[in-house]
Amino acid sequence: MTVKIRFFARFRELLGTDIMTDVVAGMMFTSLITSIAKKNPEGYAAIFDEKGDFREFVILMKNGKRLDIADAEKTPVEDGDEIAVFPPVAGG
Amino acid sequence: MLSERERERYKRQMMLFGDEGQERLKKAHIFIAGAGGLGSPVSLYLAVAGVGMITIVDMDAVDQTNLNRQILHFDRDIGRKKTASAEEKLQEINPDITIHAIDAKIDETNAADLVGKADGIVDAMDNYPTRYLLNDVAIAKKVPLFHGGIRGFYGQATTIIPGTTPCLKCIFPKAPPLEVLPVVGVTPGFIGMVQATEVVKYLLGIGELLTGRLFIWDGMQAHAEEICVERSPGCEACGGMARKKTIARKKK
Repeated sequence: MTVKIRFFARFRELLGTDIMTDVVAGMMFTSLITSIAKKNPEGYAAIFDEKGDFREFVILMKNGKRLDIADAEKTPVEDGDEIAVFPPVAGG
Repeated sequence: MLSERERERYKRQMMLFGDEGQERLKKAHIFIAGAGGLGSPVSLYLAVAGVGMITIVDMDAVDQTNLNRQILHFDRDIGRKKTASAEEKLQEINPDITIHAIDAKIDETNAADLVGKADGIVDAMDNYPTRYLLNDVAIAKKVPLFHGGIRGFYGQATTIIPGTTPCLKCIFPKAPPLEVLPVVGVTPGFIGMVQATEVVKYLLGIGELLTGRLFIWDGMQAHAEEICVERSPGCEACGGMARKKTIARKKK
Protein backbone atom coordinates (compact mmCIF):
# COMPACT_ATOMS: atom_id res chain seq x y z
CA MET A 1 0.00 0.00 0.00
CA THR A 2 1.08 3.53 -0.68
CA VAL A 3 0.99 6.64 1.49
CA LYS A 4 2.09 10.21 1.00
CA ILE A 5 4.16 12.11 3.53
CA ARG A 6 4.22 15.87 3.47
CA PHE A 7 6.76 17.82 5.47
CA PHE A 8 6.47 21.55 6.11
CA ALA A 9 8.77 24.47 6.92
CA ARG A 10 12.16 23.46 8.34
CA PHE A 11 11.28 19.79 8.01
CA ARG A 12 10.64 20.31 4.31
CA GLU A 13 14.00 22.01 3.80
CA LEU A 14 15.75 19.03 5.34
CA LEU A 15 13.66 16.13 4.07
CA GLY A 16 11.75 17.28 1.00
CA THR A 17 8.03 16.80 0.68
CA ASP A 18 5.25 14.89 -1.05
CA ILE A 19 7.13 11.66 -0.50
CA MET A 20 5.20 8.68 -1.85
CA THR A 21 6.23 5.48 -0.17
CA ASP A 22 5.15 1.85 -0.06
CA VAL A 23 4.47 0.53 3.40
CA VAL A 24 3.66 -2.90 4.76
CA ALA A 25 0.29 -3.42 6.42
CA GLY A 26 0.35 -2.76 10.13
CA MET A 27 3.16 -0.24 10.10
CA MET A 28 2.71 2.44 12.75
CA PHE A 29 2.97 6.19 12.13
CA THR A 30 6.01 6.69 14.30
CA SER A 31 7.96 3.89 12.56
CA LEU A 32 7.08 5.21 9.13
CA ILE A 33 8.08 8.80 9.85
CA THR A 34 11.21 7.60 11.64
CA SER A 35 12.31 5.58 8.61
CA ILE A 36 11.73 8.47 6.21
CA ALA A 37 13.38 11.04 8.48
CA LYS A 38 16.49 8.90 8.98
CA LYS A 39 17.48 9.61 5.38
CA ASN A 40 18.86 12.91 6.69
CA PRO A 41 20.34 12.91 10.21
CA GLU A 42 19.65 16.63 10.58
CA GLY A 43 16.05 16.11 9.51
CA TYR A 44 15.68 13.24 11.94
CA ALA A 45 17.12 15.34 14.79
CA ALA A 46 14.71 18.17 13.98
CA ILE A 47 11.70 15.88 14.45
CA PHE A 48 12.84 13.32 17.04
CA ASP A 49 14.69 13.62 20.34
CA GLU A 50 17.63 11.50 21.54
CA LYS A 51 15.27 8.79 22.76
CA GLY A 52 13.60 8.54 19.36
CA ASP A 53 10.36 10.19 20.53
CA PHE A 54 8.69 12.98 18.61
CA ARG A 55 9.80 16.38 19.82
CA GLU A 56 6.89 17.81 21.81
CA PHE A 57 6.11 20.67 19.40
CA VAL A 58 5.76 18.46 16.29
CA ILE A 59 2.29 18.49 14.73
CA LEU A 60 1.00 15.39 12.92
CA MET A 61 -2.03 15.29 10.66
CA LYS A 62 -3.57 12.19 9.11
CA ASN A 63 -5.79 13.07 6.15
CA GLY A 64 -6.39 16.55 7.52
CA LYS A 65 -7.17 15.39 11.06
CA ARG A 66 -4.89 15.94 14.00
CA LEU A 67 -3.07 12.85 15.28
CA ASP A 68 -1.67 13.24 18.79
CA ILE A 69 2.04 12.44 18.80
CA ALA A 70 1.43 10.28 21.88
CA ASP A 71 -0.88 8.06 19.81
CA ALA A 72 1.33 7.85 16.73
CA GLU A 73 3.28 4.78 17.81
CA LYS A 74 0.10 2.72 18.13
CA THR A 75 -1.79 4.08 15.14
CA PRO A 76 -1.36 2.03 11.98
CA VAL A 77 -0.89 3.69 8.62
CA GLU A 78 -3.64 2.94 6.11
CA ASP A 79 -3.53 2.73 2.34
CA GLY A 80 -3.81 6.16 0.71
CA ASP A 81 -3.10 8.09 3.89
CA GLU A 82 -1.78 11.59 3.49
CA ILE A 83 0.42 12.41 6.44
CA ALA A 84 1.50 15.95 7.30
CA VAL A 85 4.38 16.64 9.68
CA PHE A 86 5.10 20.20 10.67
CA PRO A 87 6.54 22.52 13.30
CA PRO A 88 5.05 25.81 14.46
CA VAL A 89 7.07 28.61 12.88
CA ALA A 90 8.10 31.19 15.42
CA GLY A 91 9.58 34.19 13.62
CA GLY A 92 7.94 37.54 13.41
CA MET B 1 -17.58 62.06 10.99
CA LEU B 2 -14.98 61.92 8.27
CA SER B 3 -13.30 65.15 7.32
CA GLU B 4 -13.02 66.29 3.68
CA ARG B 5 -9.35 65.46 3.84
CA GLU B 6 -10.14 61.93 5.05
CA ARG B 7 -12.70 61.48 2.31
CA GLU B 8 -10.03 62.28 -0.26
CA ARG B 9 -7.43 60.12 1.43
CA TYR B 10 -9.67 57.07 1.56
CA LYS B 11 -11.59 57.71 -1.66
CA ARG B 12 -10.40 54.63 -3.48
CA GLN B 13 -11.21 52.21 -0.69
CA MET B 14 -14.50 53.88 0.14
CA MET B 15 -15.51 52.73 -3.34
CA LEU B 16 -15.44 49.28 -1.74
CA PHE B 17 -17.06 49.85 1.63
CA GLY B 18 -18.43 53.37 1.70
CA ASP B 19 -18.69 55.95 4.46
CA GLU B 20 -19.99 53.44 6.92
CA GLY B 21 -17.03 51.13 6.45
CA GLN B 22 -14.53 53.94 6.71
CA GLU B 23 -16.21 55.20 9.88
CA ARG B 24 -15.92 51.71 11.33
CA LEU B 25 -12.20 51.68 10.64
CA LYS B 26 -11.85 55.13 12.15
CA LYS B 27 -13.58 54.07 15.37
CA ALA B 28 -11.50 50.90 15.66
CA HIS B 29 -8.58 50.27 17.96
CA ILE B 30 -6.07 47.57 17.04
CA PHE B 31 -3.27 46.32 19.24
CA ILE B 32 -0.11 45.20 17.45
CA ALA B 33 2.31 43.12 19.53
CA GLY B 34 5.72 43.74 17.99
CA ALA B 35 7.23 46.37 15.70
CA GLY B 36 9.48 43.95 13.82
CA GLY B 37 9.18 41.93 10.62
CA LEU B 38 5.44 41.33 10.84
CA GLY B 39 4.58 44.41 12.91
CA SER B 40 6.14 46.74 10.33
CA PRO B 41 3.96 45.87 7.32
CA VAL B 42 0.86 45.23 9.43
CA SER B 43 1.08 48.61 11.18
CA LEU B 44 1.89 50.53 7.99
CA TYR B 45 -1.07 49.09 6.10
CA LEU B 46 -3.51 49.43 8.98
CA ALA B 47 -2.34 53.03 9.37
CA VAL B 48 -2.91 53.90 5.73
CA ALA B 49 -6.25 52.06 5.76
CA GLY B 50 -7.37 54.51 8.44
CA VAL B 51 -7.66 52.32 11.53
CA GLY B 52 -8.33 55.13 13.98
CA MET B 53 -6.20 53.97 16.86
CA ILE B 54 -3.17 51.71 16.70
CA THR B 55 -1.29 50.61 19.78
CA ILE B 56 2.08 49.09 18.95
CA VAL B 57 4.32 47.56 21.58
CA ASP B 58 7.96 46.57 21.39
CA MET B 59 10.85 46.38 23.83
CA ASP B 60 13.82 46.49 21.48
CA ALA B 61 16.05 49.04 19.84
CA VAL B 62 16.66 48.98 16.10
CA ASP B 63 19.63 46.83 15.16
CA GLN B 64 21.35 46.81 11.79
CA THR B 65 20.41 43.14 11.33
CA ASN B 66 16.70 44.11 11.53
CA LEU B 67 16.80 46.25 8.42
CA ASN B 68 16.41 43.49 5.83
CA ARG B 69 12.78 43.06 6.86
CA GLN B 70 11.58 45.57 9.46
CA ILE B 71 10.53 48.23 7.01
CA LEU B 72 9.28 50.67 9.63
CA HIS B 73 12.88 51.31 10.59
CA PHE B 74 15.48 53.07 8.49
CA ASP B 75 19.24 53.07 8.54
CA ARG B 76 19.23 56.33 10.49
CA ASP B 77 17.18 54.66 13.27
CA ILE B 78 19.86 52.17 14.31
CA GLY B 79 20.14 52.29 18.10
CA ARG B 80 16.84 54.08 18.51
CA LYS B 81 13.89 52.49 20.28
CA LYS B 82 11.66 50.69 17.80
CA THR B 83 8.61 52.31 19.36
CA ALA B 84 9.98 55.83 18.75
CA SER B 85 10.81 54.94 15.16
CA ALA B 86 7.42 53.29 14.65
CA GLU B 87 5.45 56.18 16.09
CA GLU B 88 7.25 58.68 13.87
CA LYS B 89 6.79 56.70 10.64
CA LEU B 90 3.18 55.72 11.27
CA GLN B 91 2.18 59.23 12.26
CA GLU B 92 3.90 60.62 9.17
CA ILE B 93 2.30 58.17 6.82
CA ASN B 94 -1.13 59.01 8.24
CA PRO B 95 -1.46 62.09 10.47
CA ASP B 96 -5.23 61.53 10.77
CA ILE B 97 -4.98 58.54 13.09
CA THR B 98 -3.77 58.07 16.65
CA ILE B 99 -0.66 56.02 17.35
CA HIS B 100 0.23 54.74 20.80
CA ALA B 101 3.71 53.29 20.77
CA ILE B 102 4.59 51.62 24.04
CA ASP B 103 8.13 50.62 24.92
CA ALA B 104 7.54 47.53 27.04
CA LYS B 105 8.16 43.83 27.31
CA ILE B 106 4.83 42.05 27.15
CA ASP B 107 4.53 39.71 30.15
CA GLU B 108 1.82 38.13 32.26
CA THR B 109 1.63 41.13 34.58
CA ASN B 110 0.95 43.75 31.91
CA ALA B 111 -0.44 41.98 28.82
CA ALA B 112 -4.14 42.55 29.61
CA ASP B 113 -3.58 46.20 30.54
CA LEU B 114 -1.52 46.88 27.43
CA VAL B 115 -4.23 45.45 25.18
CA GLY B 116 -6.80 47.53 27.06
CA LYS B 117 -10.03 47.96 25.13
CA ALA B 118 -8.58 47.16 21.71
CA ASP B 119 -10.94 45.52 19.22
CA GLY B 120 -8.36 42.96 18.16
CA ILE B 121 -4.81 41.77 18.73
CA VAL B 122 -2.27 41.28 15.97
CA ASP B 123 0.33 38.67 16.80
CA ALA B 124 3.56 40.05 15.36
CA MET B 125 5.77 38.41 17.96
CA ASP B 126 8.86 36.32 17.44
CA ASN B 127 8.30 33.73 20.17
CA TYR B 128 5.60 31.37 21.40
CA PRO B 129 5.65 32.14 25.15
CA THR B 130 4.52 35.72 24.41
CA ARG B 131 2.08 34.47 21.76
CA TYR B 132 0.47 32.23 24.39
CA LEU B 133 0.06 35.26 26.67
CA LEU B 134 -1.65 37.18 23.86
CA ASN B 135 -3.82 34.12 23.23
CA ASP B 136 -4.89 34.14 26.90
CA VAL B 137 -5.69 37.86 26.74
CA ALA B 138 -7.70 37.40 23.53
CA ILE B 139 -9.70 34.61 25.21
CA ALA B 140 -10.26 36.61 28.42
CA LYS B 141 -11.37 39.72 26.52
CA LYS B 142 -13.16 37.79 23.76
CA VAL B 143 -11.40 39.70 21.01
CA PRO B 144 -9.80 38.15 17.92
CA LEU B 145 -6.14 37.24 17.68
CA PHE B 146 -4.66 37.58 14.20
CA HIS B 147 -1.80 35.09 14.23
CA GLY B 148 1.20 35.09 11.94
CA GLY B 149 4.55 33.32 12.04
CA ILE B 150 7.45 33.12 9.62
CA ARG B 151 10.74 31.40 9.00
CA GLY B 152 12.90 31.72 5.91
CA PHE B 153 10.61 31.74 2.87
CA TYR B 154 7.88 30.00 4.83
CA GLY B 155 4.99 31.47 6.78
CA GLN B 156 1.70 30.68 8.47
CA ALA B 157 -1.35 32.66 9.53
CA THR B 158 -4.76 32.11 11.05
CA THR B 159 -7.53 34.17 12.61
CA ILE B 160 -8.58 33.15 16.08
CA ILE B 161 -12.06 34.06 17.33
CA PRO B 162 -12.19 32.92 20.96
CA GLY B 163 -15.02 30.50 21.66
CA THR B 164 -15.60 29.85 17.98
CA THR B 165 -12.34 28.82 16.39
CA PRO B 166 -9.44 26.86 17.78
CA CYS B 167 -7.13 29.04 19.84
CA LEU B 168 -3.37 29.16 19.35
CA LYS B 169 -2.88 26.47 22.04
CA CYS B 170 -5.36 24.16 20.33
CA ILE B 171 -3.33 24.42 17.13
CA PHE B 172 0.16 24.57 18.62
CA PRO B 173 0.08 23.20 22.17
CA LYS B 174 3.87 23.28 22.61
CA ALA B 175 6.35 25.97 21.66
CA PRO B 176 9.26 25.15 19.37
CA PRO B 177 12.72 25.86 20.78
CA LEU B 178 14.07 29.38 20.49
CA GLU B 179 16.54 29.90 17.67
CA VAL B 180 17.93 32.70 15.55
CA LEU B 181 15.67 32.32 12.55
CA PRO B 182 16.75 32.88 9.00
CA VAL B 183 14.35 35.21 7.21
CA VAL B 184 14.05 37.25 4.05
CA GLY B 185 11.90 40.38 4.30
CA VAL B 186 9.38 39.36 1.67
CA THR B 187 8.07 36.57 3.91
CA PRO B 188 6.88 38.72 6.84
CA GLY B 189 5.72 41.20 4.19
CA PHE B 190 3.51 38.52 2.67
CA ILE B 191 2.21 37.05 5.94
CA GLY B 192 1.75 40.52 7.44
CA MET B 193 -0.52 41.36 4.51
CA VAL B 194 -2.61 38.27 5.21
CA GLN B 195 -2.97 39.41 8.82
CA ALA B 196 -3.73 43.03 7.91
CA THR B 197 -6.33 41.91 5.37
CA GLU B 198 -7.99 39.85 8.08
CA VAL B 199 -8.05 42.81 10.46
CA VAL B 200 -9.67 45.06 7.85
CA LYS B 201 -12.29 42.45 6.95
CA TYR B 202 -13.04 41.75 10.61
CA LEU B 203 -13.48 45.43 11.42
CA LEU B 204 -15.70 45.94 8.39
CA GLY B 205 -17.65 42.73 8.97
CA ILE B 206 -17.17 41.59 5.38
CA GLY B 207 -15.82 38.52 3.61
CA GLU B 208 -14.80 35.14 4.92
CA LEU B 209 -12.27 35.19 7.71
CA LEU B 210 -9.31 32.83 7.91
CA THR B 211 -11.01 30.97 10.75
CA GLY B 212 -10.58 27.28 11.50
CA ARG B 213 -7.89 27.20 8.84
CA LEU B 214 -4.15 27.49 9.09
CA PHE B 215 -2.88 29.27 5.99
CA ILE B 216 0.54 28.11 4.93
CA TRP B 217 2.80 29.84 2.44
CA ASP B 218 5.90 28.26 0.96
CA GLY B 219 7.64 31.03 -0.94
CA MET B 220 10.32 28.71 -2.31
CA GLN B 221 7.67 26.63 -4.07
CA ALA B 222 5.37 29.64 -4.64
CA HIS B 223 2.69 27.46 -3.12
CA ALA B 224 -0.09 28.37 -0.71
CA GLU B 225 -2.32 25.90 1.05
CA GLU B 226 -4.42 25.59 4.15
CA ILE B 227 -4.89 23.00 6.81
CA CYS B 228 -8.19 22.66 8.66
CA VAL B 229 -7.71 23.09 12.39
CA GLU B 230 -10.14 22.19 15.16
CA ARG B 231 -10.73 23.16 18.75
CA SER B 232 -9.13 20.84 21.23
CA PRO B 233 -11.75 19.93 23.88
CA GLY B 234 -9.10 19.60 26.57
CA CYS B 235 -7.26 22.78 25.60
CA GLU B 236 -5.71 24.35 28.69
CA ALA B 237 -6.31 27.85 27.30
CA CYS B 238 -9.80 27.78 25.77
CA GLY B 239 -11.18 24.35 26.76
CA GLY B 240 -13.55 25.92 29.27
CA MET B 241 -15.15 28.32 26.82
CA ALA B 242 -18.64 27.53 25.58
CA ARG B 243 -18.83 27.06 21.87
CA LYS B 244 -20.51 29.85 19.95
CA LYS B 245 -22.41 29.02 16.82
CA THR B 246 -21.69 32.11 14.87
CA ILE B 247 -18.67 34.27 14.55
CA ALA B 248 -19.12 37.44 16.54
CA ARG B 249 -18.46 40.50 14.49
CA LYS B 250 -17.59 43.93 15.72
CA LYS B 251 -20.69 45.92 16.50
CA LYS B 252 -21.37 49.12 14.69
